Amino acid sequence: MTANQRRSLTEKLGLLRELELFNGLSDDDIMAIGHATTMTHCQPGQTILSPDDPPDQIHILKKGKVRVYRVSPDGKQLTLDIYDKGTILGDMRLLGQDRIAEAYAESIDAAVICTITPHELRRLVERYPTIGVNIITFLSHRLQEAQRELEAMAYQRVGQRLARKLIDLGQRFGVETVRGTLIEARLTQQELAELIGTTRETLAHTLADFRRRGLLDTANHQVVIRDAEQLAHVAEDGDRPEPL
Amino acid sequence: MIDATPFPVRAASCIPAVSARQMAEVDRLAVDQFGIRVGQMMELAGSHLAEVVRVELGGDLTGRRVVVTAGPGKNGGGGLVAARHLANGGASVLTVLAAPVNRLDEIARHQVATLLEMSTPCRVASYDVTGDEFARELADADAVVDAVLGYGAVGPPRAGVRWLVERIARAAVPVVSLDLPSGIDADGEAAGDAVTAAATVTLALPKRGLFSDRGRRGAGHVLLADIGLPAALYRLIGLDVGTPFALGPIVRLEVGA
Repeated sequence: MTANQRRSLTEKLGLLRELELFNGLSDDDIMAIGHATTMTHCQPGQTILSPDDPPDQIHILKKGKVRVYRVSPDGKQLTLDIYDKGTILGDMRLLGQDRIAEAYAESIDAAVICTITPHELRRLVERYPTIGVNIITFLSHRLQEAQRELEAMAYQRVGQRLARKLIDLGQRFGVETVRGTLIEARLTQQELAELIGTTRETLAHTLADFRRRGLLDTANHQVVIRDAEQLAHVAEDGDRPEPL
Repeated sequence: MIDATPFPVRAASCIPAVSARQMAEVDRLAVDQFGIRVGQMMELAGSHLAEVVRVELGGDLTGRRVVVTAGPGKNGGGGLVAARHLANGGASVLTVLAAPVNRLDEIARHQVATLLEMSTPCRVASYDVTGDEFARELADADAVVDAVLGYGAVGPPRAGVRWLVERIARAAVPVVSLDLPSGIDADGEAAGDAVTAAATVTLALPKRGLFSDRGRRGAGHVLLADIGLPAALYRLIGLDVGTPFALGPIVRLEVGA
């Protein structure tokens, strides 16, 4: 399974991203915001959000609880989460908030929600600059997450290149031993790093990870491939995700 | 049914039983010092659990109905792995989770995603399945897997966990528990309702609670299952475990043998 496939599995479960949009505002301010937006009083069991809803609006749960669920092909429901007041549902590109794919939300009790469009949100930011600051904080966290993701992807590619190079070296210089395939070519980490176009530090980190996972052993500038099958998987598919 | 199993028998006195604290240290060392990932251990646990259920059902899973109950932690994750193996083996599996999907341990959540991809039904206790519906499922089941609480549980069960434990405790269907019967803690005490199992699959080392008076009444046959932890790990905490799995990855522990 590739990292992308794993991510889509998780996305299908619809992990909700919670926005702490109104942190730092007084209860009075939040009350005023409630009045400035479209407010709906829901009966228990009333649907608040469905996949058919128009895009680009968010619903803020002001009171009560909602159940978020998905419906399986046989029509049965699976509860993904239960949320209390303060939770934001729906999607808004302005906030980087994605809708939960295939998910529904319904009120468990007598819930109150206010619905906000992008235009209304702009008006709120003008009146309550703290909301703007909260949005910046939120987007900054998202940016950091994206940065970490990019770093992970870069590392994956190094792992794949290293696996391919080791398989190649194993075929050319490998000797079968009781511990696995010993690559008789003596290479320093700097030389091996240059062979796969990375830094020595990144190579050392990747080798340590491969050692920890039982793919190989290293000693005296030599590598022993201990799990050729798994190494071939890494070479073929990129670095595999953490197992289940 | 387990009496006539292929599982080799070992005297319980030959293998040290551990407290929750010792087992937590074993788990920590496994991950931090030996690089054995939780997912690896969970996969073995779930696979062995499914194997015990298969034996409990007479050796053939085809068409048998199994309800797998899973808590929000890693014990639940093991149960979800078992659900996959049981479904793969031909059983009709219903998985009932103690908590909404997003409140599960990350690895357990991943297992749910896999089960959904397999079209194996999953429900959340009390939200997606009512008490009456669950009672009917239990009445129709050939076996129940209890992976609700593990050795780390303390205090009386709450919310969805209690909802499940109360109902499994009253069910008249063979139950196979993972690690400990849910409701009985690692010291062998029960703060509320507790499951009475036909068999308990305990992992790596037996938990002390299985051999207390309450534990023995609830655990049924105690089967020790191998999750791949090395003897060198046990030596680090001063335990001489020997080679309990020399005869196979699942052994039946007999008190007084």
